[in-house]
Amino acid sequence: MTYTPTLGGSSAAPGDGPRDAVSTFERHRAELRASKRLWNILGLVAFVVCLGLSIWVSRFYPDRLAAGVPRIFEYFGTIMPDLQWSVLFEGRTEEGRAVPGSLTFWYTDFWTYMRLIWETILMAITATLIGAAVAFVLSFPAAANLAPNSWVYWISRRFLEICRGIPEILLALVFVFMIGIGPLAGVLAIAIHTMGALGKLFAEVNENASSRPVEGITAVGGSWAERMAYGVVPQVAPNFFSYALLRFEINVRASSIIGFVGAGGIGQELNRVISFYSDDRVAAVLLLVVLTVTIIDLISERVRLNYIGRENFQ
Amino acid sequence: MLKLQKLTRQFGENLAVNNANLEIPDGQMVGIIGRSGAGKSTLLRLLNRLIDPSEGQILFGDADIAALKGRELRAWRSDCAMIFQQFNLVGRLDVITNVLTGRLYDVPAWRSMAQVFTPRERAFAIQALDRLGMAHTALQKAETLSGGQQQRVAIARALAQEPKILLADEPIASLDPMNAKIVMDALRDINRQDGITVICNLHTLDTARNYCDRIIGMQDGRVVFDGTPDLLTTQMAREIYGAEADEAFNEAATSTALPASVAAARVMA
Repeated sequence: MTYTPTLGGSSAAPGDGPRDAVSTFERHRAELRASKRLWNILGLVAFVVCLGLSIWVSRFYPDRLAAGVPRIFEYFGTIMPDLQWSVLFEGRTEEGRAVPGSLTFWYTDFWTYMRLIWETILMAITATLIGAAVAFVLSFPAAANLAPNSWVYWISRRFLEICRGIPEILLALVFVFMIGIGPLAGVLAIAIHTMGALGKLFAEVNENASSRPVEGITAVGGSWAERMAYGVVPQVAPNFFSYALLRFEINVRASSIIGFVGAGGIGQELNRVISFYSDDRVAAVLLLVVLTVTIIDLISERVRLNYIGRENFQ
Repeated sequence: MLKLQKLTRQFGENLAVNNANLEIPDGQMVGIIGRSGAGKSTLLRLLNRLIDPSEGQILFGDADIAALKGRELRAWRSDCAMIFQQFNLVGRLDVITNVLTGRLYDVPAWRSMAQVFTPRERAFAIQALDRLGMAHTALQKAETLSGGQQQRVAIARALAQEPKILLADEPIASLDPMNAKIVMDALRDINRQDGITVICNLHTLDTARNYCDRIIGMQDGRVVFDGTPDLLTTQMAREIYGAEADEAFNEAATSTALPASVAAARVMA
């Protein structure tokens, strides 16, 4: 290159030929943009084709939608309670009967629902604890940068994939057949799915951990387990905690529907009232489930943000 | 006595350390100099087996360090402490726990996993910290300390290992002149008082001259100079650093030393 840069842009006009730094850059930029444009168009075409296929397969057509949507409201009509303002807060009569149209009448089985919701929350807590504990242990061999050797890495990765690959509801169905109806089947099913999902997230957190402290612990003569415990865990603990809480929120939702296959919790009652009555009791249970999930989400989010905030500002 | 025989490490096509033969008697303070990429860091990491050699032997007494595995290898690392340019402390752990990790090799597995240390071990760690004037920071998180303070904690961790050899990989390259002096003085003190062999990678010539009994010069993976500081002429230094003959080679230009010692280095050079 014999080109010598000149001061001032005006002398390096576009006509200076390909040796001009500015025009070389502009040419490269145009090429880059052109090649990107091609990929963008290809991507868009692929997207439209996939969208069309999925509409065709699921028969998601406007006329079917128009016919179906009113029926949703129809169903809601049948499960809505027939509350009357005049007797809304009436208690039970002397004979112990609830007055139709009162809240007491609508929520006759309130304490049964509450017991089942409590059971649901306990299921979620137990499953999250078991799942997070196994995920914690497996996340170290399943991290590419920390695994002691390739076959341990391969086995733990595959194991976690299998755990999260099987849907919870399917696992619950199998466990109900194996150990009978009840919350234990649900806890096991959710715990296994949690292992897989959290294990992958934990392993990814581990892969982002700095290698310097690990090298420091290696250099003092620490074993593999000591390298993990001293070099990695202090770095990743806040993230692990945050992910485990997030998983707990998801597990509360999961344990409230897993009862549909007989695996305990409020879902079992929801399934019963839907299949036997389909009346205002469905709305009663649904409302409690939505309230529970919302409250737990709000609390957990608070705890998570506070915890992360505190860690970051220390 | 630490003995390297035909020690070689190859990364792909590149010979990072090429046929190094050295004998380092116990209690010496050795400085390794050379351009970045000359293989200084690889040589040090070979010594405590953070990197495995491709060929050759490392002998300490009768033991072949290059062949150690498992628990024996960890025993060697525990005897051969290392401090790093970036300190390599665990930032989120407090200072005292960082120093206590220096004892990990001797602590039974269940106690180390539960992070349970005996009062004796704690006392030992605090004494090591106190020796470097850092005992007052013992309960702080390591990441809240300045670079110079972190390096002193790292030296305390190395002392807690009760090592026979102390390796230092560019210990002052990330520090300001004042802290560099404190750290180098501490290393010399450990060498003189405890009789621990110190092998130190340095990027400044004047530091090597001021602190070391012996200087080893490396270029492109080979040992090209080995001798006392007074044998290291400006001409020799120029060759190690690969400076062009007609290019002005100014030792002070690479210096991070305080003004007084810069002056001293100029007098010596």
